[in-house]
Amino acid sequence: MAEPAALTVEALAVDFNGLRAVDGVSMVVEKGELRVLLGANGAGKTTLMDLVSGKTKSTEGRVFLYDAEITNWEEHRVARAGIGRKFQIPSVFKDLTVRRNLEVASCEKTGVLANLGFGFSSDAEARVGEVLRLVGLEELADRPATSLSHGQTQWLELGMLIVQNRSVLLLDEPTAGMTQAETHKTAQLINRLKGQHTILVVEHDMAFVREIAERITVMHLGRVLAEGSVAEIEQNEDVRRAYLGSAVIHGQPEPPC
Amino acid sequence: MLTLRKLDIAAYVIFIVLIMLAPLVFDPFWLNRIAKYLVYGMLGVAIALSWGYAGILNLGQGLFFGIGAYMLAMSLKLASPTSLAQGSDTPVPDFMLWNAEPGAPTALCCINRGSFLWMPFQSQWFGMAMGILLPVALASLIGWVMFRKRISGVFISIITLALVLLVRLVVIDAQPLTNGFNGLTDLGWLTIAGFEFDPYVVPTYYLVAISLALVLVAARLLIETRAGLILQAIRDDDRRARYLGFDVPIYQLFFFAVSAGIAGLAGMLYVVASEFASPTFMDLAFSITMVVWAAVGGRASLLGACIGAILINTIEATVSETEAFVEAWKAIIGLIFILVVIFLPRGLAGLSTDIAEWALARLPKGVAPRGAAPRRDVQPAE
Repeated sequence: MAEPAALTVEALAVDFNGLRAVDGVSMVVEKGELRVLLGANGAGKTTLMDLVSGKTKSTEGRVFLYDAEITNWEEHRVARAGIGRKFQIPSVFKDLTVRRNLEVASCEKTGVLANLGFGFSSDAEARVGEVLRLVGLEELADRPATSLSHGQTQWLELGMLIVQNRSVLLLDEPTAGMTQAETHKTAQLINRLKGQHTILVVEHDMAFVREIAERITVMHLGRVLAEGSVAEIEQNEDVRRAYLGSAVIHGQPEPPC
Repeated sequence: MLTLRKLDIAAYVIFIVLIMLAPLVFDPFWLNRIAKYLVYGMLGVAIALSWGYAGILNLGQGLFFGIGAYMLAMSLKLASPTSLAQGSDTPVPDFMLWNAEPGAPTALCCINRGSFLWMPFQSQWFGMAMGILLPVALASLIGWVMFRKRISGVFISIITLALVLLVRLVVIDAQPLTNGFNGLTDLGWLTIAGFEFDPYVVPTYYLVAISLALVLVAARLLIETRAGLILQAIRDDDRRARYLGFDVPIYQLFFFAVSAGIAGLAGMLYVVASEFASPTFMDLAFSITMVVWAAVGGRASLLGACIGAILINTIEATVSETEAFVEAWKAIIGLIFILVVIFLPRGLAGLSTDIAEWALARLPKGVAPRGAAPRRDVQPAE
């Protein structure tokens, strides 16, 4: 029998008082696949991630992680089930040191009583050290996270997901606000994660997308507009039209994200 | 190597040694005063734990302090000679007799409608247990509702503030049970294993001082655990913590309840030192004053908040001796608070950390161990 897909989204929709930010999206992401979500502002990419990760409750449709249905679970349960998420605006624990940030992520047990002990297992420490090297923050390990540059903060957050070793990673614009060199480094990082994790990336930067993407799903006004390889998407007439003049074609402004 | 961490631990050690040595210097009257300030210091620890480490600004910490105080005071009231000498099998608080309806039986079970609630308090152990358990249970209940509903920030402050006022009203209103505005006075002494804790003897001071030392060390250890680290992570960014798989409300609830338990213990010790419990413990002004202590001392430091509380109260006591200052004190305290918030957001603890960092950075390598040597030479001469 074939292995179940890592992430299956079935006719997922959310209705914000009449505004359907995500309107019947279906998508299958195979295990180990790296999928890029493309779309203009307001296409519903971030909302789709919110629905999958439990931040926003969907009004229709279902979400499966492998065989298990996780539709509308609370965030921490979705996370424990195996989905890690990186936010568009990097989100780290600012007053803790870089190492501490990763250590928090390395806690395997999540209960308060289970964590009433001191220190971390040598296994966890080893993983933290490895990830510090991987994201290149070794030198800054004992600095508070608030002192990091924007790009470094993005890598720290990515590092927290790597320490956690969740099977599915949702990355919302991991290169937002990065310089070209930083973007390239991020692409390398993500390419290294390919295969070990199933990854869903929201991205605008086409250069970056070409560097990492295998398959692309294009969203437009809350729906899936097209799906295919980089070359197929670049040739796709619908995508071109949507990107060049969505407001003109549909005669109305796009809904907010 | 001399590090900030070692200096920090040294500060705890020095503080604990100092409070243990205080009986060598002060007379019983002052020792009793200092014992009360140490109780306030314990409240400072409770505030720092919830505000500084959990990011929960509780403006009603007096609620847990007051409950702790009343629970023990009820037991001690029943142990008072006046309660025992009312010609009944069970001790009966004097105020219940004064207010009893004509013909009411003179027994704790039924002198008025709620007096049976006092019966278990004949056991002093029950009063002591309730002094911690009730604040913890109440905090867990309030916390469960607030944190599950993801209430945060200023809304928590408003809810806790309203709750302390509500309970204060209830306590005053339940006059037949609580003696209303007058509170519980004329209490017996706390008696453990046959020893009576007269508020003006040295062992009573040590009861308070050792309790404070234990609370300080335990709270400090607690925040050094993984759970303490996760709590600080939650304070910085609760959403990130949720997405790492942590059940955020459970963590907030746990530390909120621990903070309430510490406040309850402080309330009990205050009753031992001051021999009364009163609804003024639940005055809004008192709860807010506690926050000022922690802010001045440094809310992100357990020891800092503790010292802040002791310092401000010592200054207040000294200043109050001068007539002109008594009236102005509230204004002075307000001014100090504003100045601290603007110029010293991390309080005195933050200031001393900055100074220590500055000094450490200027110490040439290897000087630190040698630097200690001359001091040892000086000591024999003293």
